[in-house]
Amino acid sequence: MNGDERGTDGRQRFATLCETLRPDLLRFAFWLGRDRQLAEDVVQEALLRAWKSFDALAEEGKAKSWLLTIVRREFARSFERKRHEVTDLDALVAAEADVLAAEDDAGLAEMREALFRLDDEYREPLVLQVMMGYSTQEIADQMGLQRGAVLTRLFRARARLRQELGVTVEPSS
Amino acid sequence: MNCLEFRRQIGAEPSASGAEIEAHRGECPACARYQDELRAMDALIGRALAIDAARIRSIRARRPRWLALAASIVIGLSVGLALWISLPRPSLAREVFDHVAHEPDAMSGTALVAPAVLAGVLDPYGTRLRPGFGNVTYARRCIFAWRVVPHLVVQTPQGPVTVLLLRHRNVSEAVRLVEQGYVGVVLPAPRGSIAIVGRDQMDLDGIARQIFEAVDWGN
Repeated sequence: MNGDERGTDGRQRFATLCETLRPDLLRFAFWLGRDRQLAEDVVQEALLRAWKSFDALAEEGKAKSWLLTIVRREFARSFERKRHEVTDLDALVAAEADVLAAEDDAGLAEMREALFRLDDEYREPLVLQVMMGYSTQEIADQMGLQRGAVLTRLFRARARLRQELGVTVEPSS
Repeated sequence: MNCLEFRRQIGAEPSASGAEIEAHRGECPACARYQDELRAMDALIGRALAIDAARIRSIRARRPRWLALAASIVIGLSVGLALWISLPRPSLAREVFDHVAHEPDAMSGTALVAPAVLAGVLDPYGTRLRPGFGNVTYARRCIFAWRVVPHLVVQTPQGPVTVLLLRHRNVSEAVRLVEQGYVGVVLPAPRGSIAIVGRDQMDLDGIARQIFEAVDWGN
């Protein structure tokens, strides 16, 4: 079915979804790829694909999860199309410094940089859990992992952040 | 559920709750504090991840009309977040005392903190200590009220004193704190405020003045 056959109502519903969810999708794609240009391109392409298969979305209450899945797939496709060079992390941070900046809040900026430097395997489940509010089972489903593996990654992600920031969290027993 | 099981689960899911979690929290204050600290850290992670989408889009010159609509939604969400953040929170005095109580061992150390470690704690904040500050025996970056703040313990002739540099918390005038064997004061600083807490038998005013004047808050 093409866009014309879906009619004005379908277009309007899709536009509303895009307007509502696009900021979250952009943030997710940015934290996934650590590149704002890539994030913008991936989300743009994902929304085009989403429009083409809008009829496959049975419940609009599941739109966010559905769109995140499409963004993840599109992100993977972008790696297939163009092998992104492994870049020096310092250079990545410098390139996105204005996005990561937090005026008058050094601690927040530090946390952003620490998250930015986190390995992909730890950063993505943490983003899904903390930013998107996913349960560990939903993360496991999204990433195609066992729930136990997700729990391990989330535990290690926080441990690495604490280590990176030199933050004391665990109190003395 | 024992401490190890609790910490494994909470380390991956700080917001987890349920009968077993609550039961263990009730019988193990250390694990309860561990979860509270991780929840506070998660709040900071959440704020860090919530980058304004407009910044991510800023590389693009073209802005379709519906992007402007999206921007208005982002602004609406930001206003909502600001309102949420401004909801009544525990008093500053309560937060300061709770934090000091969370790390009781911090006050008992006597070994001086190495200058490099101290610099690692203070440099990100552009803050330095002048010679009159005293001997620092504890220096960590801690989560306090959703922010990472320098937490120091300085030795004085009257005993150890805890110092928290709270650049994100403004107070219009000195706030005095008294509770269960502790006294403290939060003073307005050139950037935010500074909380100073000691044992209740201290003459804290003189000590606080000396510490306050020995902090170089940078530009």
